[in-house]
Amino acid sequence: MTWPAIRTILDGALVTAALSAISILLSLPMGLLLALLRWRRIPVIEGLLAAFVTIVRATPFVTLVLFVYFVMPAIGLELDPVPAAILALTANTAAFSSEIWRAALQAFPRDQREAAIAFGMTDTKVFTRIVFPQIWRASLGPLVSEVTILLKCTPAVAVIGVVEITRAASRVGAETYEPLPPFLLATLIYTVLIAVLVRSQRVIERRLARRMGLTPL
Amino acid sequence: MSGILVSWQYRDVFLWGVANTLSLVLGCLVLSVPLGILGAIMLTEAPAPLRRLFAELVDLLRCVPFLLLAYVVYYGLPELGLRLDPWWAGLVSLTLYNTAYLVEIFRAAFLGIARDNIEAAQAFGLSRSLLYRRIILPQVAITAAPVIGNQVITTIRDSALLMIITVQELTFAANFVSANAFAPFAPFAAAVGLYLLMSLAIEAGVRRMERMRRVRYG
Amino acid sequence: MAELEPAISARGVCKDFGGFEVLRDIDLDVATGTTTCILGPSGSGKSTFLRCLNWLEEPSAGDILIQGKPIGRTGLGRDAKRMARNELAAARTSIAMVFQHFALWPHLTVLGNVAEAPVHVLGRPRHEVEAEGRAILARVGLAEKADAYPHTLSGGQKQRVAISRALAMKPKVILFDEPTSALDPEMVGEVLAVIRGLAQDGLTMVVVTHEMAFARKVADTIVFMDAGRVREVATPHDFFANPQSERTKRFIARS
Repeated sequence: MTWPAIRTILDGALVTAALSAISILLSLPMGLLLALLRWRRIPVIEGLLAAFVTIVRATPFVTLVLFVYFVMPAIGLELDPVPAAILALTANTAAFSSEIWRAALQAFPRDQREAAIAFGMTDTKVFTRIVFPQIWRASLGPLVSEVTILLKCTPAVAVIGVVEITRAASRVGAETYEPLPPFLLATLIYTVLIAVLVRSQRVIERRLARRMGLTPL
Repeated sequence: MSGILVSWQYRDVFLWGVANTLSLVLGCLVLSVPLGILGAIMLTEAPAPLRRLFAELVDLLRCVPFLLLAYVVYYGLPELGLRLDPWWAGLVSLTLYNTAYLVEIFRAAFLGIARDNIEAAQAFGLSRSLLYRRIILPQVAITAAPVIGNQVITTIRDSALLMIITVQELTFAANFVSANAFAPFAPFAAAVGLYLLMSLAIEAGVRRMERMRRVRYG
Repeated sequence: MAELEPAISARGVCKDFGGFEVLRDIDLDVATGTTTCILGPSGSGKSTFLRCLNWLEEPSAGDILIQGKPIGRTGLGRDAKRMARNELAAARTSIAMVFQHFALWPHLTVLGNVAEAPVHVLGRPRHEVEAEGRAILARVGLAEKADAYPHTLSGGQKQRVAISRALAMKPKVILFDEPTSALDPEMVGEVLAVIRGLAQDGLTMVVVTHEMAFARKVADTIVFMDAGRVREVATPHDFFANPQSERTKRFIARS
């Protein structure tokens, strides 16, 4: 492979990283919001959110991407490939991470919440001071693993023409008539990125367990 | 409305897509479950250096995005002199990928079996292979079922990516119909509905097995 | 004349859980500066009653007054409006509680647990609260544990932290819900010694407990509950030497 070809793929890697970072920053808080809304058990909303989560979890990500890109214009939401990719990634990860947040909220010890209430904390204070600082730590491992899953999903946005690593690799392959080397390089980049995340997740979980006795949920 | 009608006219395409998705997933399961068990046994029994190497490999494979693995298999096998049509290349990559996850699932399930239970079997003089066949695997089959159910759903989701190497599975079908009928909503909604149906069926199956397990073993 | 106002009064408190009556028409006054021990067999409703005092459980009927001011409702009687959630939260700041299973917050250090509510609920300056917190911890013998996390402590140490956390609020009353029931036998003594010290200092405390010897030595008033009712209110001397009812006699004899 020539240097310009490698450059093309590395540029793609930057796009992948940016897409992933934006989607993570949007989807994790959104997942928490979904979980909190479901925790409140408001009749109709609870049903709608549960349906949303079930559908997204059952739908292949590439199908979701195509859905967002081709179907949204029909309801008047015309999106360029990059925003469409971000929307699909965000919806996907918000749905999956909401299940992680929900599990953490459900497992939260009742007596700790009671102690906070007994000491005069308002609902907001109980959440911001006692519940959230613990659930984000307890969920950190599963959430990082959600990030790696998101990263593993990103190649699918190549189908709608976003030039990230995978699309860049297939371009190089098409130009050189040698598809294998660019795809091997692309695979290497993904694997290194994801392996780093996976390792850091293990380190984080061990440290939290040592320091506060918090075990991953 | 017209979109739904058009999609109905293309029902054969959807059926063909579902058939391909299901045959891929089923074929992948038939191959990767035994391979996963073998791999897990190897991870437990092999001498230390080999075990570490194998564990690293399995770990790394799980870090590869499935689409990239599919590309590498699809373009790589011909270089090794093996020409496969897309469906077979899809099956190979799906099996390889799924096996890496199943090895980990089975290994965790092995570790979850009570130590004394295994020691009791050894005390009765069971050979290593009898121990696996009669004591460990039957228990693993029960405890790992829900996790394997989830893994099957993940495999269905992964199989959709094979549309990119032109395997004519369900998402390929939806995309094809949407492009030919100029009506995007109905075909994709139909595909999402069909995926939902598959995953609900698997979840129902898992729940049923769980119930049976509780009734029988408490 | 504030001295005559009871620290806590319960008036006709009832509680039922889905038709099952756990508390029936309980009246009780706790005088300021005294220690009241609530005794009774398991299931007699003592813990539920204690939890009604700070409205962790909402009584089905009756009023709770903290120094004459109603808590939970804005006035007296069943028709009085419920307090808004923030109002109720503010009212609870004058009643601290110590739980059977400690309920320490594991993400905060020992000092963090002690300072949390004074800083974030009362809005007091952190440095001031922390200085006081360290003094309190020193008093319960945990000065050197201020920066440790709760999971590294023994049960007895955890409960002493929980007591420090309650003290840091400078509450009018502290409620203890079976503070030694979850402890290993060898740790019960260290916790009871701390509570005893507080009683001697004249704090107002309500203690639900199974420790008869402790109640006898420390309580100013003993309340005996059975089947959701208060059966007897007496000084420890009268209670143990001269129990009024058959039920009380049997309870004392058995323990």
